[in-house]
Amino acid sequence: MTNILENKREGLYCPAGDFFVDPRGKVERAVITHAHSDHARAGHNYYLCSDSCLPILQIRIGTKAKIESVPFGKRTKIGSAYVSFHPAGHILGSAQIRIEVKGEVWVVSGDYKPQTDRTCEAFEVVSCNGFISECTFGLPVYQWADEQLVHNEINHWWRENAENECPSLLFAYSLGKAQRVLAGLETEGRPVFVHSAVHSFLTHYEQAGVKFPKLQKVERGIDYNFSNSMVIAPPAVEDSTWVRKMKKAKKGFASGWMSIRGAKRRRNLDRGFVLSDHADWHGLLEVINGTGADRVLLTHGNGDALVRFLRETGKDASMLEGASVRGEEEE
Amino acid sequence: MNMFAKLFHDLDNLTKTNDRLDRLVEYFKSASPHDALWVCWFLSGNRIKGAIRTGELRSFVAGWAVLPVWLVEECHQRVGDLAETISLLVKGPSESKAGSLDSTIRKHLLPLRGKDSADRKLLLSDTWSHLSDFEMLPFHKLLTGGFRMGVSKGNLYKALARVGGVEPSLIAQRLAGDWSCDDLSFADVISSSLSRDTNPYKPYPFCLASPVLEEVESLGSLHEWQVEWKWDGIRAQFFSLGGGRGMIWSRGEEAIEESFPELTKCVPYLPQDICLDGEILAWGYDGLRPFARLQKRLGRKSPGASILKRESVRFHAYDLLRLEGNDLRTLPLSKRRKKLEEVFAKIPNHLPLGLSEIVNASGWDELSKKREQSRDRGVEGFMLKRNTSSYESGRVKGSWYKWKIDPFLADMVVVSAQLGHGKRANLYSDYSLAVWDNTGSLVTVAKAYSGLTKKEIEEVDRYIRKNITGKYGPVRSVRPGIVFEVAFEGAQSSGRHKSGVALRFPRIHRWRQDKKPKDADSLDTIRGFAGIQDICLTENQGIDENGNMLLF
Ligand SMILES: [Zn+2]
Ligand SMILES: [Zn+2]
Repeated sequence: MTNILENKREGLYCPAGDFFVDPRGKVERAVITHAHSDHARAGHNYYLCSDSCLPILQIRIGTKAKIESVPFGKRTKIGSAYVSFHPAGHILGSAQIRIEVKGEVWVVSGDYKPQTDRTCEAFEVVSCNGFISECTFGLPVYQWADEQLVHNEINHWWRENAENECPSLLFAYSLGKAQRVLAGLETEGRPVFVHSAVHSFLTHYEQAGVKFPKLQKVERGIDYNFSNSMVIAPPAVEDSTWVRKMKKAKKGFASGWMSIRGAKRRRNLDRGFVLSDHADWHGLLEVINGTGADRVLLTHGNGDALVRFLRETGKDASMLEGASVRGEEEE
Repeated sequence: MNMFAKLFHDLDNLTKTNDRLDRLVEYFKSASPHDALWVCWFLSGNRIKGAIRTGELRSFVAGWAVLPVWLVEECHQRVGDLAETISLLVKGPSESKAGSLDSTIRKHLLPLRGKDSADRKLLLSDTWSHLSDFEMLPFHKLLTGGFRMGVSKGNLYKALARVGGVEPSLIAQRLAGDWSCDDLSFADVISSSLSRDTNPYKPYPFCLASPVLEEVESLGSLHEWQVEWKWDGIRAQFFSLGGGRGMIWSRGEEAIEESFPELTKCVPYLPQDICLDGEILAWGYDGLRPFARLQKRLGRKSPGASILKRESVRFHAYDLLRLEGNDLRTLPLSKRRKKLEEVFAKIPNHLPLGLSEIVNASGWDELSKKREQSRDRGVEGFMLKRNTSSYESGRVKGSWYKWKIDPFLADMVVVSAQLGHGKRANLYSDYSLAVWDNTGSLVTVAKAYSGLTKKEIEEVDRYIRKNITGKYGPVRSVRPGIVFEVAFEGAQSSGRHKSGVALRFPRIHRWRQDKKPKDADSLDTIRGFAGIQDICLTENQGIDENGNMLLF
């Protein structure tokens, strides 16, 4: 595929360093961009990730796994390849992997977001010859508004629900999105609850300096009075009895997919908030152009339109073969 | 415009009908009368026609956003709705510079009509520099016409009735038929004074029947019911006006008398100032003809002598709603029927007017037997109307029922699919369905997109995504694997379709997960259903979202 990276069954492989990036299956050495489950899987022998990714990765794949970590920006030699991690702005500890072999540089972006937010390291543009980019939101209908506006919308919605004595149940992916939403809440003295899946990551975010409002973890088997509270839970529990018991609750979902009303209506939600941890259309173009890469390979999402658009602007772009074309559950 | 935009987004977010109703009442109480009237007009199902073409709009947006047109089309495909696509691609100023709803429509929307394309582009770019992001979607919904906001007409009438303190049926009559925002005022709409009603010849809200869902015996004694055949034509209200003039309103509340001059010619033989409820049927010297024949008359104003002769029609009366200027709708059906029969006793036989006959039977058993004649008679089953029922607005439980004969069923294979619209925008949920022909290949005979549960649609979508074999524009051909049992009301042979047949009201009855493509039915079986109805469909009929053919 390229001089530096090969596309194998397990995923992207670098022969010069004999390692994989975000592999599937079972491999000897796995370099991990970030701790989301579609990138960090258990079962490999050795792991390498960024320092701030380490504790989160341990929650995902267990403390017994052999994991090494390096600070952002530090060059490490693996075989005859130089490898370094650069912030991807996606979730805490998320990295783009820069791989240099004999003067040629490729960057594997993992998931990324060029806009800054207060819960993770700010995205950094890395110059390269070849760029492997995600394209989850690769259509111009996906354009993110200023982050604070979205927080204002969420806070306004909560206040309104609270006035009607309705709990606000907000679905957000448990790692990354949930913490971003929490960090933006204005409680005005009202209680905040989080589902246990969200709770497990909070300490590491706090250690990294992220401030959260006072909150309570929802324990099994206890009946809470949620009346005017905000409850943050992963979308996976949407159909659970736990949620069904909260009859009066207004339901919202914070996700880039909420840009399109059909996606909101299909889930039977009261509100959709457009808040994404991925690059929007302009973000993708800005970063792809910013890297100066001659070759661009796209993965993660339906990239046909972006490929065609990049080609029409003179870039050598194509889909990464075997790339996952994933739908709405994308993290 | 901002107040209207707020209403739009609130209605869009509210999921309960009653909350929407409350919100609408709140709007009508606070909005300016001019704005409120427009909202009535749009929610009555009206739309501004001829303001812009879809292709044109896509190319203007492409120009504005500096994107290739194909990419705008991709976006439209993903989003499923053009107005929403535009609102996502066009970013307006942060503060709105638009005026009221009324002035926005009059300055930015109505003038688009009659302009050439270049001027339309100029006006629209100017509009985009006035509207805030919040107003983009509501404006473009008005522009592209797809404006519903989840409020039924019935609920519009209820909301207005609450604001004006009058009966919804009165509002319904005032807002029925053709009207424009220039010939009515909001005060007239909600007025509690009855004398101000300017046009008594507007259609009454049609009384509709519910399907019989349980055993028919559960309806009680047959003696409480008036039974008629359920005719297959165009439901209409026929008014005789003073001076020999007649008006005919379709159920879509369009005035259609110009299409049926042979009916308005009957007016001099009718008592003055009456309203008949009935059905226009294709009818010749040989009696009732299939519905397909009627289609040749649809949408055709002032038909010529030869088509009038070849494709003749008849008005079949069910009910009498008005007589000598008096509204009879609250009388019990048995009394209305008696008066209707008296009217018909005086009508000469040669006119194309008929009275829907009453079917008598000793009990439900005998009636069931008679129902088996439906297909031979070319009708769809029975109508059951409670003798004591008044003529209600819309569908009121317990008074009128349709007891239809069972539909035809056939097993068909999904051979291609397309992303749906609205709620199903990101799901492959519009299916082309095929059966086997004599040469052993699958031929498409129907398109359908209703009848599955949300869960099933999602599951089918997953199958389709994994089994796409080709792309043709928005259509994806699919490896045969999914078999649906499809219900339809009839089949006609058709030169327009490759398969040679066109099905009426095809819809998915259930998913036959127990069947493989090879088990699907054959084209000959479908042709067998077509049997007697050997008429060519030539008119290009649209289909609405429930799979019903759009008549006018
Ligand atoms: Zn991912
Ligand atoms: Zn991720």
